[in-house]
Amino acid sequence: MNNAKKIETWFDLVRILVAVLVAYAIALVILALISDDPLYVIQQFIVGPFSSFRRFGNILSTMIPIIFTGICMCFVYAINKFNLVGEGAVNLGGCLSACVAIALSNKVPAWLLLIIVLVVGCLAGMAASLIPALADQIFHADVCVVSLMMNYILLYLTNYILKYRIKDPGSSITASYKWAPALKFRNIIPKTSVHAGLIVALICVVLAAVLFYKMSFGFKMRIVGLNPVFAKYIGIPVVSTIILAQVIGGAFAGLGGTVQVLGMFSSYQWTALTGYGFDGLMIAVLARKNPALVPLSAFLIAYIRTGADIVSRTTDIPPEFVSIIQGIIIVLVAAEMFLSGFKRRLIFNSAKKALAEKEGKA
Amino acid sequence: MEALKMENITKIYPNGFVANKGITFSVQQGEIHALVGENGAGKTTLMKVLFGMEQPQEGAIYVNEKKVKISSPLEAIELGVGMVHQHFMLLPSMTVAQNVTLGMEPRKNGLVDTQKAVQITQEMSDKYRFGLDATARVGDLSVGLMQKVEILKALIRGAKVLILDEPTAVLTPQETRELFEQLKLLRTEGHSVIFISHKLEEVMELCDNVTVLRHGYCNGTHPISELDAAGISRLMVGRDVVLKIEKEDPKPGKPILEVRNLTRTNAEGKKTLNDVSFTIHEGEVLGIAGVEGNGQSDLSDSISGMVSYDSGTVKLNGKDLKGMKIVDIRSAGMSVIPEDRMTVGCVNDLSVQDNAIADRFDKKENMNGIFLDKKKAKSITDALIKEFEISCDSQDEAIRFLSGGNIQKVVVAREFTSGANFVVANQPTRGVDVGTAEMIRKYLVRQTREKGIGSLLISADLNEILEVSDRLLVMRQGRIVAAFPKANVVDVDELGEYMLGIRTMTAQEMEGVL
Repeated sequence: MNNAKKIETWFDLVRILVAVLVAYAIALVILALISDDPLYVIQQFIVGPFSSFRRFGNILSTMIPIIFTGICMCFVYAINKFNLVGEGAVNLGGCLSACVAIALSNKVPAWLLLIIVLVVGCLAGMAASLIPALADQIFHADVCVVSLMMNYILLYLTNYILKYRIKDPGSSITASYKWAPALKFRNIIPKTSVHAGLIVALICVVLAAVLFYKMSFGFKMRIVGLNPVFAKYIGIPVVSTIILAQVIGGAFAGLGGTVQVLGMFSSYQWTALTGYGFDGLMIAVLARKNPALVPLSAFLIAYIRTGADIVSRTTDIPPEFVSIIQGIIIVLVAAEMFLSGFKRRLIFNSAKKALAEKEGKA
Repeated sequence: MEALKMENITKIYPNGFVANKGITFSVQQGEIHALVGENGAGKTTLMKVLFGMEQPQEGAIYVNEKKVKISSPLEAIELGVGMVHQHFMLLPSMTVAQNVTLGMEPRKNGLVDTQKAVQITQEMSDKYRFGLDATARVGDLSVGLMQKVEILKALIRGAKVLILDEPTAVLTPQETRELFEQLKLLRTEGHSVIFISHKLEEVMELCDNVTVLRHGYCNGTHPISELDAAGISRLMVGRDVVLKIEKEDPKPGKPILEVRNLTRTNAEGKKTLNDVSFTIHEGEVLGIAGVEGNGQSDLSDSISGMVSYDSGTVKLNGKDLKGMKIVDIRSAGMSVIPEDRMTVGCVNDLSVQDNAIADRFDKKENMNGIFLDKKKAKSITDALIKEFEISCDSQDEAIRFLSGGNIQKVVVAREFTSGANFVVANQPTRGVDVGTAEMIRKYLVRQTREKGIGSLLISADLNEILEVSDRLLVMRQGRIVAAFPKANVVDVDELGEYMLGIRTMTAQEMEGVL
């Protein structure tokens, strides 16, 4: 195998590990200034998430929704359109699924209702994502701006539905009527909050990876994303591929909203954006837009989140500061150019060596 | 006095391409010096070296007889060398004065002194009779005036030597005449001008001396008074290595591609194709010669469906291609070897295999039900690698790790095996090594003769076009200006004269050859 390629492949892994270490080192320095016991804080951050079964469970349940949005962003990112509607798609998917679940509870069998609800989530996400995609293609409205605005439109639309259409007046908090308990995802690991949604998420990972790498649409999509001029020249329908990729991505985000709502709650309660959509972008970047790597990068993000949560609850560090540390880690991990000079030197040296060997033989 | 001297310049690019070989070139103070040569002769590289955009491996540069090192355009400007690029480097939303004084704005109390900027710009423009309004927005100016802004930018930074890279390519004849007057005025003021051009009549009219480059070598500097246009053309084009290709005479069959009255206006409003008509038959290679930028790219893009055209028809195997999707054009029998393999011909980050099968992976026989058939893809690619002698470590290797010649082989392999009976080969051997170039040429001829496909060869390489083509057309300014029934007996000097606009054939002369 070509040396340069080998170096590039290995380098990504090494780079992420080094980035995490550097980030923790920076965090340690800052913590030394504001904490009485910085080593303890760091220890909680790093090993805390693995210190008990329940905490490890927290990592897994944190992963569930962001696997869906991570897959969503892999599709969007693959065709180079920054459609950030994942956020709104999650809310819309969750809310419309809840409406259907409430309306049809005890009217159709639970298994059928579950399927209907999941399909509604997908459709909601597809619709949410289609709007910025079309605006981009037809009106050349920047897909990034339109999708960010869409997120707020969808948030307030779902807030309206929650407060004026499905709110349970008997509830002390802002929550909808409850749906049939049979609909709620069961816990799959006792004494944790890990629910069956994790299985749905992993099935989606497999589906997305197959679509990406085993089917012609995935291949077309990757070509369009990497070189649209070539795609046009070779006869791939560029516009429809771009729109379809975004719609498929939206379906996964919408489904993620449904799964999260059914897994964590027995009534619909979201009144703010969840942040899962933006996590999805980060995960897709980390996974190098490969859906098969999404669980891994989702695990990394969930691990950092869980560690941060533990630190803010068990130490003297305020939660705001924890968010800063988390930010440092993520920025360094996501920075593609981090250590790139080092990589170039490695490739250059190996090329020089190969040349010298060749000349030696000749 | 010598304003500038470049001595023994050798420039090798990181991919091993030798663009300049021991070129010595000097410019006197107060002269207009022409630098001419075919595309790829090394003119642009030489000027990039002079302007500090490229570093040579060997050689020295002297400015005012002092040895200097120019490692960036900023240093070049400091030494009094200014460059007017072919593609203007201007900010359209800002005024003339803002553009001209950008980065060196006059200041008052720490703020930009707009009035002063306008004043010095206006004075300079008036001095050289550029006729510019310093307060006008650059975006509102004509191309000719934008070029004046570029020149002014160089002059205000103290340029004594001005490099103009094909300045008249974008100008109307009237604007060209005006530019020449102003350049002559600059010459009397003691400035030196390096004038890069393809248009020999302009060189004859304007310049004092001419330096000819060919294939990276300097072919001498001559006073214009000792040469005529035909003489320069001979120095520029002159055949050195003649690559002979053995081929029998074509036996043209029925027409495959019929182009009728094709006319196209590009986004800038320039007519790039003007009433182009020709027919290509089974079993023949039609060559199109011409100085680059005379509509060849638009012709190949229009035929292959990459761009739309104003009027005319393109028929492939009897089907009118107008408005057809590219995928359908391809299945109607079209294959294309594009001019720019890196941006059009392949996807850098995908593997050799992905690139080789990009046009056929979703054909029914190459799919496994609804899934891609990896085994089939591998066997198709293996066969192509073997047949076309593509050297790569593995077919899963990203194509960007291959050499230029091998990348081109992948493109050629894909296009020649797509099952099409017509191929557009646009500069198929540009920038590839001699061996690969020869192989591609022979393959093109063999496919045409043995399989009876029709080929359109567009090339700036005269050896190639004369050896490979059966019939030969010459394009200039979007028109067919000459047609020869047998390419391999065409006199290269005569061809050069048609390419450079010294001669044009009448419609009667071309009848029956189109």
